[in-house]
Amino acid sequence: MAVLSPSVIVEQSRSRVGQSVVRASTDMDLTDGMQPRIVVEPFTADDVVATLAWASTERLTVMVAGGRSKQGWGAPASSIDLLVSTARLNRVVEHRHGDLTATVEAGATLASVNSELARHRQWLPWDPPWSDRATIGGIVATNDSGPRRHGYGAPRDGIIGVSIVRADGELAKSGGIVVKNVAGYDVSRLVTGSFGCLGVIVTATFKLSPIAITSRTVAVECDSLESAESVVRSLTLSALTPTAMELVTAAGQNRLLVRFESIEEASAQQSQEACTLVGSFGQTEILSGEDESNLWQQHGVQWSGKPDVTLLKLSCVPAELFPLLQFLRTASIENGLDYVAAGRASLGVVDISLEGSIGAQVRMIQLLREQLTVGRGSVVVRNGSVTLRRKIDVWGEIGSGLRVMKAVKSRFDPDNRLSPGRGPGGL
Amino acid sequence: MEKCFLDQLAQIVGMDGMVRDDAELLTYETDGLVKLRSRPGAVVLPTSTEQVQAVVKLCHESGVPFVARGQGTGLSGGAMPHPDGVLIALTRMNRILDIDLPNRCITVEPGVMNLDVSKAVSDEGYYYAPDPSSQVICSIGGNLAENSGGAHCLKYGFTVHHVLGVEAVLPDGDVVTLGGPALDAPGLDLLGVLVGSEGTLAVVTKITLNLLRKPAAVKTLLAAFDSTEAAGNAVSGIIGAGIIPAAVEMMDRVTIEAAEEAVHPNFPKTDAILIVELDGAEADVSALFRRVEEVCVEAKACEIQIAKTNEQRARFWQGRKAAFAAMGRVSPSYYVQDGVIPRTKLPEVLSRIAALSERSGLKIGNVFHAGDGNLHPLVCYDERIPGQADLAQDVASEILTYCLDAGGSITGEHGVGADKAKHLPKMFNDSDLDTMQLVRCAFDPGYICNPGKVFPTPRLCGEVPGPYRQHPTEAAGLAERF
Repeated sequence: MAVLSPSVIVEQSRSRVGQSVVRASTDMDLTDGMQPRIVVEPFTADDVVATLAWASTERLTVMVAGGRSKQGWGAPASSIDLLVSTARLNRVVEHRHGDLTATVEAGATLASVNSELARHRQWLPWDPPWSDRATIGGIVATNDSGPRRHGYGAPRDGIIGVSIVRADGELAKSGGIVVKNVAGYDVSRLVTGSFGCLGVIVTATFKLSPIAITSRTVAVECDSLESAESVVRSLTLSALTPTAMELVTAAGQNRLLVRFESIEEASAQQSQEACTLVGSFGQTEILSGEDESNLWQQHGVQWSGKPDVTLLKLSCVPAELFPLLQFLRTASIENGLDYVAAGRASLGVVDISLEGSIGAQVRMIQLLREQLTVGRGSVVVRNGSVTLRRKIDVWGEIGSGLRVMKAVKSRFDPDNRLSPGRGPGGL
Repeated sequence: MEKCFLDQLAQIVGMDGMVRDDAELLTYETDGLVKLRSRPGAVVLPTSTEQVQAVVKLCHESGVPFVARGQGTGLSGGAMPHPDGVLIALTRMNRILDIDLPNRCITVEPGVMNLDVSKAVSDEGYYYAPDPSSQVICSIGGNLAENSGGAHCLKYGFTVHHVLGVEAVLPDGDVVTLGGPALDAPGLDLLGVLVGSEGTLAVVTKITLNLLRKPAAVKTLLAAFDSTEAAGNAVSGIIGAGIIPAAVEMMDRVTIEAAEEAVHPNFPKTDAILIVELDGAEADVSALFRRVEEVCVEAKACEIQIAKTNEQRARFWQGRKAAFAAMGRVSPSYYVQDGVIPRTKLPEVLSRIAALSERSGLKIGNVFHAGDGNLHPLVCYDERIPGQADLAQDVASEILTYCLDAGGSITGEHGVGADKAKHLPKMFNDSDLDTMQLVRCAFDPGYICNPGKVFPTPRLCGEVPGPYRQHPTEAAGLAERF
């Protein structure tokens, strides 16, 4: 694109982006330390099609922004000409409550969608951080999830259809509105977790869950990581069916939150059984009602309000989680870092926040990665300052599949204009 | 197929790894969909990843197409051989390679039978959740290709939800590993698109599967209704009560009678039955099961049987799982259709199917995974009567249009294969199909990996995607996309 002033570009684009709102970017739109040259806010799929077709003609690099809760995620993009904001694509297109499915536009926040679905006591059973701001498009693009992933799975497990606009401006769909469907390739899953590098998500369709009638949470305070590991092992081998099994560990703290959601008598009985089962490993308390809500509220917001917080995602085979956390504890002391690790103890997926010098953080990430091999674990920088994300490969080693991933990217986006450099493996 | 090419194949897999005998080759001409047949150029039976890799490399260098095949139980012609290609039968790659219970996973070769996975870990209290009706004889490799489900996928999901990682040979012979025992391997979810790609993207040689703990409690009931509509109302009531059963299966009078004749499950003689199974923690199952019973009564069930023993539960399932084969008792031939509808459209679609049955004069039995709207209409015909086989196929195709009219899919679990490729454009437009082809071209730019399946008239990967142009013979009604 020729170098034109933002106001000229805004003017020139108006007739090319459908009914979208077009504006010059502001400080709010700063992404990875870069100011996009123009911001387009489409209202409809047709607007997105027009916008991407225009961007294709003008060879503009494109980033997508939803609720801006994940602007610090992924590798820093190499260039941003056009920021497509999904803020106005925020409708629940259809809630088929009898079929337990819903189609939702990408810019709708999870909180607003769930508020609408709750009219029929249904919901998208995810609880990622910042769910008041996090949009469906962003959650899908990052496959983000929270504590309830233990019982309900990640977005990747619940998505049944998607419509995207490709880099060349073509609107394409995959999947459908039925839960069971094997017709054609599953582009929905390919797009999930792709960090916007294959297309702009316009709508996504999901299977829903009924909202459980009651909930109980067993909080277990342990005096050591070993005790916490025993709690997790006992629960995992038991016949109990928690919907969350969340570990929070930091210097001097080892706490497990185990949630049971069902009908009243079942939640009550399971939480009692859990206390009996793990009581010898720590102090247990059963929470319900407001106390329980507050507990999870605090758990969910522990990293909110810190846009530059360094947040790693550690994934490993479940049996290696606690040895790795022990390693983290020792290594963080040696490197002068404070940390909090919190996550899905039984699945081997935890978030780790780090505080300390950038150099020490980089060293810690490298040390953790040295403990892992491809396929048996990974450390990804989920969130962090641009400085940190420029100093280290945020994804780590991808493995032999990277070759095919690059081939997929080059087929979908041959000019490398969608979120260039931001996606997995630098796609 | 040229002798020198065949000799090279024999060098890779050994003489005992080649099928040459004419009678033996017959076995490989077709999968479970026997109406589609093709004699393969060659059949190889590799025993290792290295052999698969060498065969695929040879095909790649020679521009020869290849098709991977498991147990050949697929019902859409997905494993039908290419007449000028190599059929890679993976039946000898049937070892369980690693059982890792602390990490709740198992790694197997593709030829391992579905049920054998659960058997291998059953004593330790684990199982593998996807349970297609053919689980005794179908292989994990085929399950992966088709993204198989089964009666219990309503609660536990499909193969794609239980495959953690694979080793796969790409169409150029490169071996890649995708995913692994740990969740969330960074990178694009190639595994998510490979599962269900019907053998068109790669040949999978190792598969790591997620294992689940066996539920503490399982309760099953059979409820009889005077109509499929009443049974459908019960399903709506159960889901509406916020209950996700492990399985909800429905059979109509035709299939009930057929099952009774074949395996004598002692089903009530009625117009519809539901089999509802709940599993999980004891406390949940007991409480929710009572609610399911109430819903069935509210929906005017005329009889409710509760399985009191494992034997009785097995009898319910035997009757259900025998439904397809049992149709052979009541009809000389039958065509199994596989379509999906939003579950709430069940009454509307069933009434259209009933009208179609009357209009065509062909008896149609219905078995469904009622919880997720997956229909399996069984269109009965007698191939000795001229024209009736074609009529049955037309009727089965028309049922798919009912599914699409209702917002559903042309296949829920049998796959598109060769059989339904021509129907795919009824569900997806050119842009959708072009996008899927972008994936295909990234994996298989030479178009040699199970060509001719899933997609109609695929463009070569060098072509620029654009609007589909109808061929003159299509416009004249002389040909159709296939």
